This record gives sequence, structure tokens and C-alpha cells, in this order.
Amino acid sequence: MLTQDRLWSEAVILEAGENRVLRVQSTRDAFLCLKNHWPIADGDAKRNAFAACERVIDGDDEPDVARAAFIKAAEEAQFSVHSWTG
Amino acid sequence: MAGHEDKMVRVRDVMSRQVFTVSPTDTAQSVARLMAETGVGAVPVETPGVGTILGIVTDRDIVTSVVARGLSSSTAVFEFMTVAAESCEEDDSLLLAAQKMHDLRIRRLVVVNGKRHAAGIVALADISRVNPELGGLVLEGINRPAPVDTQLEGMSTC
Repeated sequence: MLTQDRLWSEAVILEAGENRVLRVQSTRDAFLCLKNHWPIADGDAKRNAFAACERVIDGDDEPDVARAAFIKAAEEAQFSVHSWTG
Repeated sequence: MAGHEDKMVRVRDVMSRQVFTVSPTDTAQSVARLMAETGVGAVPVETPGVGTILGIVTDRDIVTSVVARGLSSSTAVFEFMTVAAESCEEDDSLLLAAQKMHDLRIRRLVVVNGKRHAAGIVALADISRVNPELGGLVLEGINRPAPVDTQLEGMSTC
């Protein structure tokens, strides 16, 4: 699955504290952030974002669907989210 | 460099077929996350939507060209990748791939198909696995002293 990726129309920048910034602009990278670098173990939005990333990587949905779900998950995890298009 | 039986071994016989590619606009941190997850130390850079291989990024590139220079982890891949990665083809002999690694002092070659899409990666470790002697010769070549590029004034090449 990780051999495939689908780019987003715009990056999402997440901040946690003063020293941590995650810049994410593709579906595979979002999946890896959720899997390995996420501050909360579980959550509705996180599960939805995982599912959206898998659908997009499999070609069953559009990349920005994963992006929107990822932003919801970031808000759930209390990241400060920076994005032009929300 | 190798025995007769090794001439029949082809790159396709030893290469890794699972290739994780990245886009030129991906960032150093996203490539690092991919490397951490997959355990690979080099990823080909491809044109998004086209698949043509443009270059390669290694873990060493991230350390020496981004971290050591104090650049942001958001630095785009195209700013520090090696452009026009050295490549070979699946049908090339292992000896040819080994010779290329030896001459260019590199440990990996991107294996490309006829459209210059990534078909795999062949590493020195793959060669050493099937032919330790050949792998050792390549390693010796990689570690040999670098040639002096700048010619001393008054000296000729012959």
C-alpha cells in the first residue's frame, strides 16, 4: 500500500507546542503521521481519517477527501492547524 | 570480476521489486517518515502522474544536505535530491550493474523499465548476497581514494 501515494491540492501544517511542526501534503504521509506520530491513540476522527486515507490510496476516493478527514483528526488531537482552504 | 556462472545472473534476479517513490515536492520530513516506516534508505524521485524517474534521495542526503546545513525539514525534495539517478535495466547482467557501482562509487542503482519508470532497486547488498566476491570488489572500488580532480599546474595527463 505504501508504494502508492496521492498528492493533495494544498499542504496542511500542524503545530504542537513551539518546537513541533508537521507539514503534510500527501495521503501516504498523512497515513504515516496518523500511524506513527500521532499524540492520541484512538478517536473517531482519527479512525475516519485512517479509513479515508486507505480509500484514497486504493483509488476509491479523491485525495482531498483524505485531506479533509486528516484536518478533522488533527483538530481532535488538538494540533494547531494551518491551512488556506480548511 | 566474476566467474563464468555469474554472467547469467541478471539484475532482475536479485533486485528489490518493491519501490517506494516520492515526488519532487515532497518534503525532507515526509521522506524521513517514509524511510522510518519502510526501513529503506534510498527512494527514487518520480514525476507525479507520469512516473518518470528524475533522481534519487537517500537518508544521507537528508542528514548532510538538510539537517547539517540547517535547512528546514519542510525543504522540498527537488532542492536536495541527486538529479538523474544512475540506473540500470532489469535485463542488465549483474556484472554490468556491479561495474557501474564500482566506477561511480555508489551502492544503489534504480532499475528502470523502457518508459524510465522505476521497476526496482538493486543495492550492493543484493549483489553481495548472491556473489560475495563480486560484492567485495565493488566495495573496494567504492572505498578507493578519490581521484584528484584539479590538475597541478605544469603537469600533463600523460
